[in-house]
Parts: sequence; structure tokens; C-alpha cells
Amino acid sequence: MRRGKEKDLRRVMSRRGFILAGATVSMTGFLAARLYYLQVAQTSRYRRLSDRNQFDVRVVPPVRGRLFDRKMRLVAGNAESFELRITPLYADNLQETLKLLATIVDLPELRQAYVLDMAKTLPSFREIMVRDDLSQRELARLAVRSALLPGVSFGKSLRRIYPQGALTCHITGYVSPVTQREIEKDETLEIMPTLGTGKTGVELVFERNLRGFPGREKIEVNATGRPIKVLSDVPSAAGNDLRLSIDIGVQLHAAERLRRGRWDTVELGSHEVQAALAQDAELQAHLAVGDNMILRDGNDRLVPAESGAAVVMDIHSGEVISLVSAPMFDPNLFTGRLLNRDWRRLNEHPRRPLLNRVTSGLYAPGSTFKMVVGLAALEAGVISENTEFFCKGERELGTSVFHCWRKGGHGVMNIVSALEQSCDVYFYEIALKTGIQKIRDMALRLGLGAATGVNLPDEKSGIIPNHEWKLATKGSVWTPGETVVASIGQGYVLTTPMQLAVMTARIANGSKAVAPSLLSKSADASSDFAPLNISESALAIIRRGMFKVLHGAAGTANKYKLSKDYGGMAGKTGTVQVRRISLAQREKGIVKNIDRPWAERDHALFVAYAPIKNPRYAISVVVEHGGSGSSTAAPVARDILAKTIAERGVT
Amino acid sequence: MSLWRTLFRIPWHIIVLSLLLVAIGAMALYSASEGSWQPWAGRHAMRGAFGVGVVLVMAFVDFKILHRLSYFMLIAAIAVLVALLVIGSGPNVARWISIGGVSFQPSEPAKIAIILALARYFDSQPQDRMQSLIVYLPAIGMIAIPFLLVMKQPDLGTALMLLLGGLSVLFAAGLPWRYVGGAVIAALVAMPVLWSQLHAYQKSRVMTFLNPESDVLGAGYQIIQSKIALGSGGLFGKGFLMGSQSQLNYLPEKQTDFVFTMIGEEFGLVGNLFILALYLALSLSILRVSFLVRSRFSQLTCMGLSMMLFFYVFVNVAMVSGMLPVVGAPLPLISYGGTSMLTVFIGLGIVTSILIHDRQED
Repeated sequence: MRRGKEKDLRRVMSRRGFILAGATVSMTGFLAARLYYLQVAQTSRYRRLSDRNQFDVRVVPPVRGRLFDRKMRLVAGNAESFELRITPLYADNLQETLKLLATIVDLPELRQAYVLDMAKTLPSFREIMVRDDLSQRELARLAVRSALLPGVSFGKSLRRIYPQGALTCHITGYVSPVTQREIEKDETLEIMPTLGTGKTGVELVFERNLRGFPGREKIEVNATGRPIKVLSDVPSAAGNDLRLSIDIGVQLHAAERLRRGRWDTVELGSHEVQAALAQDAELQAHLAVGDNMILRDGNDRLVPAESGAAVVMDIHSGEVISLVSAPMFDPNLFTGRLLNRDWRRLNEHPRRPLLNRVTSGLYAPGSTFKMVVGLAALEAGVISENTEFFCKGERELGTSVFHCWRKGGHGVMNIVSALEQSCDVYFYEIALKTGIQKIRDMALRLGLGAATGVNLPDEKSGIIPNHEWKLATKGSVWTPGETVVASIGQGYVLTTPMQLAVMTARIANGSKAVAPSLLSKSADASSDFAPLNISESALAIIRRGMFKVLHGAAGTANKYKLSKDYGGMAGKTGTVQVRRISLAQREKGIVKNIDRPWAERDHALFVAYAPIKNPRYAISVVVEHGGSGSSTAAPVARDILAKTIAERGVT
Repeated sequence: MSLWRTLFRIPWHIIVLSLLLVAIGAMALYSASEGSWQPWAGRHAMRGAFGVGVVLVMAFVDFKILHRLSYFMLIAAIAVLVALLVIGSGPNVARWISIGGVSFQPSEPAKIAIILALARYFDSQPQDRMQSLIVYLPAIGMIAIPFLLVMKQPDLGTALMLLLGGLSVLFAAGLPWRYVGGAVIAALVAMPVLWSQLHAYQKSRVMTFLNPESDVLGAGYQIIQSKIALGSGGLFGKGFLMGSQSQLNYLPEKQTDFVFTMIGEEFGLVGNLFILALYLALSLSILRVSFLVRSRFSQLTCMGLSMMLFFYVFVNVAMVSGMLPVVGAPLPLISYGGTSMLTVFIGLGIVTSILIHDRQED
């Protein structure tokens, strides 16, 4: 019995032994299947993940090309800046460390959240940039507390700087961090997060030349992020340096001179000024955007610096020697972390400092347009040098009456004297005879009505109207009255200061349709412009008129002659109404500009070239609401031309 | 028994298999230290040689001494485990004990003690009572006490091995199927209770296992990196000393628990399957001994040791390939670690002793 049981149990145990053996074999099979799945079926996926572990591709941002003025003075460069980085692997508590950092340096909550987010997606050994552009003070404060900040380190990066600051703001434009929209257009920007892109000005227009090409380093890294060896190393290629045509010496003078207008500057530090400032919100807004010029006007009021535009160009090469748009702003504000406060101040400022008035500001040319009308009439054969008209102070046309700016009229006028005295009636007469279409054709040939092609973005074309334009935009036919208004550069006619400078340059040049450029050119590069094809005799007559403006006994700007030392200048004034003058006002006598609110005063324009013999430079000046072209704009243009010739010479 | 007769009866194939595994281990450890015998590979090989010496010495020891000492060994092991909980060496983890400058993990000898004690217990039970549950209750206690003590250390991996090894002896002893079914149900019921007993880090390991991507850089890191290393190894591997995951330290614990992964990265599926085949051969060889010996004590001991060895391999490989949570189970004879290797060789020594001194033909 016992023996039987014994045998029974032996059998059970043997069976169990076989079951265990079977279990062992099948479990091994299970493991083998699992390994097959990982190592054969899924191997390509895991190989990819392994490569991503093993290799770290670091993009080396290129050094952005610099900008120089024509005398190789730095206009835009790259400065080393310090940035704060954190390695989550070594930071005991990332969140706490960030909070502590926020008490030492400026570190908004949003940025902290961003860093925490990045830390979740990146390997923990990877450095994350916490703050760039640390100030010296912040650096010092961090250095003292570095013992309390495990995992925190410093790194160097390049930051764009504009050593001339606001002076060249509308030429250089600025670089600022890459935006999401730019990345959508150009994916290569995404991997270069430290590299800003040009947003306006030359920085934007020459972005491709300035940017350069990023380098690429493929590094084998271990699990703690330590580089083991560099597998491939493509160095970055720096962007091209550009030499601009601008002369900083002239630019500095032009900016100061334009903004002063016809008034005197006041000492900002004086008690009287400080007291006035405290009460005047408009002045405070000006100082807040960095414009530190305050003027005392003719009524003994403290007013902000004038706004407007001044541009000087070489009439042979087209090189722009100086380009000022006021008010200005400091482009350095944009390169690092633009503070909301600064952005609001710039963007909401009533005088729009961010607008480049030279190429994007539209102004009625006023009487500076009279050269166009005169040339059109001369070339059409409507008038000759001796054709005369009588100005009695107004011109009737149908039921309308068009006034001359001088109430009593100018008497007998020819084209030269009409330019000299800026007689409106004379130009009404010849415009009616010439017709708007021929006037428009001449305007376009002189560079109006189309972008000049200077190397700046967002350039406006302006408006030079004709029948078709009126029909297309207003839906009604052109009337002779509109030709009358257009003949003195008002009504629909709109131009930019850049266009007016080009117009003047072409009149002075006489043979080439010179076009402006912001790049410095070699001496013999002037020949590649198209011929102007305007009769030299007609141009000579117009130039004589412009000469008379300064040198005639009744010239509108004869008080503001350019000294003979500089060869003298020829030019044309323009005073542009920004408000229609009603009959009642006219009868009461026009209120003097200075007694009107600023925004209702006339724009003051002046275009000129110098020297008179063998001209070399053309200038256009617009002083917004500056009063009259002769008293405000002409002296500004004269002084800038004097400085230009003094700095650059005429040969 | 004469010396020659004993030497003739030594299961040389088992020794060769184990030495092969030790050699593979030494090679892997040589690679783990970036191509150096220091600090692991050299010592590993020396320990292997020492282990074989232990087996050869034990071949001359009569297995009856083990039978006699088995209960005492279990009681001693339990006493040490209790002592460890009281005076443990680490603040939270009490696994190591240090005697005269030599550190070892007392949970390792406890594994063998449990199997021997269970084998002796069932050996002593009358045949006709093997169908009743009463017989199995003391055995369950013999498993449960050390199991709970090791779990409290806390060392989930070793505790699991004690449990699986002990239960396989119960099963081999002829635990009726109805109780086997009952035990499975009981285990399922006990799961939540066990879960509440786990430490936070153990829970997080299990949770991470269930969803490793939830914590890529934290607890899930090990599993993900191990799978990447295995998977990127492919069919033939990246080559000796060429495993980027291992050589660049992405792979954690590559000299201990994750050594199988490292071999998989450098030698591919082929290398891994070769190792699995060696383990299968070793386990089955030990299991085969249970068919050749006379006493139930001998049979059960061999079955228990065979299964314990195999469970180690299974849990380790399943763990590194992402099929089980990271519980901490070394790969026998390949992972670096003196106590665990010595335990395996003592187990093999016991098998050898039993085969030589308790063969059926005698």
C-alpha cells in the first residue's frame, strides 16, 4: 500500500517536473519572441532613437555682417553680451532656482514657465537659456550669489548694437528676435534661435547678405551631455559687411539742424525748463522716447523738436549722403528684450517716430512741384522762356476763383520770375494749357509717382494724378480745376521727400535719370543710369528760376543764400496748406502759422542743389507744420548743404 | 566513495555551462567599463573560478548534512533578516550586512535556505496526507515570513524570487490543482493589499512600467533607454565595445541589472538568444537531476533550485525588455555581484552533491 502511494507520488512529482520543464521552455520562448519584436521588428525605430541619444547636432549661428558709413565708421556691429543659462540636471530644484533668480535679475513669470516647459522636453543635461543680455549690474549680483545657484552658468552671445543710436535709426532699421511668422516663411530660422533678423531699414533689405550661413557641429555626447568627440564640424560663414553711402558727420549735423528748425534749443537742465516739463504731457512724451531736444518758439513757448525729413544725395552717383527722419528712436531698444513700455511709447507716440518719413512719409509737394509743371510746359512748346502771363492775385475758371498766395498779385510774370517769386497764377495758366497728362509724364520722368528704389523697405510711390487715375480711384472725370490745384503741388499730388530729392538731383544732373542708393559706390559708377531725355535748354531755364529763388531781388528764399565759399545753391520753396482756407478766413486775413495749433500749420518744404556751377548735391527738406518753406525749410537746407560740402567737398 | 568515482560523477556539463555564463559576464563587464578589466570584469572572473571551486568541494559533501541543517539554516536566515531590519546599514534600504569587513546580502542565502527547508518538510510528510491543505500551511508560513521580511527591507525583486522559488517547490511537491487555482485567485485578491504595502518608489516603478513615456527623464528613463539599447542592437548588434547606449552611459546599471541589455546592444538578438539558450540548458540540466535522484528531499531541492535560477533569468530579461516593472533582479552568473554569484554556485554545489550522493542506481 505504502509502496503504491510512494509510486503514485513519484509519478505526480515526475509529471510536475515535466510541467515545470515545459513552463521553462515556453517562458524562454516568450522572452525570445519579445526580443525578436524589439531587435528585429522594431529595430529601425530604436536605432533612430539611439542615434538621437548619441549625436547632438549643434547649430553655430553665423556672425552678422556689419554696417559702416562711407568713411568706415561703425554704424551697426556686434557686441558680446552675457546670457544666463541653467542645466536642469545640476539644479537641485529647477522651479525654486528660477524663483530665486527672479529676485536677482529681471525674469518675468512667462519666461520662467517657458524654461520649465523646455526642461520637460529637452534632455536634462542640455543647457537652457534663461535670460540674455545681462547688464553688468546683474552679472555682478549673480556672481556674488553663484554658490546658491547650482546648475546656473553664464555664456557669451553676440548682440546687435548700433553705436550711432538714434542718429541712423531710419537707415539701419533694426534687428530683433525671430518671430513665429518669419519661421513659417523660412524654416531655417527655427534652428537659429539666438539670431535676430532685420525688421526694417537696411537690416531688412540686405538681410540675405548680412545674415551669413550657420555652421553645424555633430558631436557624440554621453548621457551626461559631455561631448566625447566632434564627428563633423562645418564652420559658420559670417555675413557680408556693407559700406553705406551715409556720411555720419553730415548725418549728425542734418539731424540736429532739421530738428531745430527755425527756433533755438533750450538747456534741458534749467529750472524753468524742468518746471515747464512737469506740466506739459506732450513734452514729457517726447523726452520719453529719447528725443532730448526742446525748442523755444517765436511765441516764447517750449515746444518739442521739429519733425520732418531731410535727405541729401549725390546727383551723379545717386549715393545718399544723409537721410534724416524726425522724430527718431533708438534702434538698440529692439535688439535685446524690448520692454513693453518702450514699445508702447514708440508706437503710440503722436508723431510716429518709427515712421521713416523720407521714404514712407507722403506730403503734397506744394510749390516745389512748379519745376515739373514748368518743364512740362516748356517741353510741350506751350511756353517759351519769354512767354508772359499777368498775375492779378487770382484766376477765374468757370465759376471758381483760384487765388495766388500773394493777395495783390505779381503782375507780369515769365517762367523764371514765376519760379523766383513762386507765382501761383502763372502756373495755373501754363498747367491749363499743358494739360494734366503731360505734367504727369514729366513728373514720372523726374522720379515722382513711383518708388525711387532706394534700399529701404516700405517705400511709398506717392500719387501723380491724371484722368485715368481719377476715374479709377474716385469714379469721376478729371476737371480743369483739379489741374489748376495740381499745378501748385496740392490737391491729389503726393510725394515723398526722397522723390523730391531725386527730382532735384535729376534737374541738376540734366542728363541722367539718377536714382538713389544707400550703398557706397566707387567713383566711376555713375554712368549706369538711363538718360533723362529732357531738353537741356528747358532744364537751363528751370535751373535759372531756381537760382533766382535764392539770388533774385524778389526771390522767395533770397535771405538764405548759401555762401559763395560753398559755391552757392539753387532751390525752390514750398509751403503746403494742410487745411483748406475758407473764404471767410481769407477775407479776415490769414492767421499767422505760429498762432495756429501745431497740426494746422503749413508744412515747410525746400528742395535745392549745390554748388550752382557743376552741381554735386541735391537736398530736400520737409519740416512738418514748420510754417513757410522759405523761412523754416530753406535755412535748414542751406546749412545741411554747407556742412555736406565742407565734409565731402565737391569733386 | 572514491575520489575518482566522485570526480567521474560530477555533472561536468553543468559546470561548463556555468563557466560559459561567467565568461560571457566577464566579457560584458569588460565592455561595461569601456574595455577594461577594472573594476568589474577581473573580479567577476575570479569569483567565477572561486565559485567552481566551491562546487567541486561541495561534490564531496554528503547531501544529508544539508538535510540535517536545512531548518536551522532557515531559522538563522530569518534571524539575520530580522536583525537587519533593526540595525540596517542604510537609512531607508536595509539590504546589506557587514561582518569583519565583508559585506553581503543575507537575503541571498535565505533563498537557498527556504528551498532546502521546504524540501525537507515535504520529505517528512506522509504520502497519504499530501492531498490535504493542512500539510501545506506550515510550508506557506516558511515562505511568507522571509518573504515579508525581505519586502520590508525593501527589496521587491528578491522577495519576489523567494516567493516564486518557494511556490515552485510547493507545486513540485504535488500541491493539488484545486489549491493551485485557489492560490492564483488569492494572489489576485491580495494584489491591492500588497500594493498598499509598497514604498512610494516601488509604486512609481510599477506605474512607470505601465506607462514609461509619462516620465521620460525620471523613473521611465531606465526602461526607455534599455529598450532603445536592445532595439538598436538589431539582429547582430553594434559590435563588441561599440554599443553607444552602453558606452555613453545612457544605459543605467549596465554592470548589474541591465547587463543583458548591454549584451543585446553589442551582440544583437543572436547574442541574446545564445544566452537564453545557455540558461535554458542549465535550468533543464538541474531539473533533469531531479529525475535521477532517490529522495524527495533531493528531487524537490533540485526542482526548486532550477526554478529559482530560471525565474531570475526570466524576471531580469522581462524587466530589461520592458515586460515587467524594474524590480531589481540580477542576471545569474553574468551580472556583477559577489553574493548573488556565490549563491548560484552554492546552489549548483548542492545539486552536484545530491547527484553524486543520492543517485538512484546506488
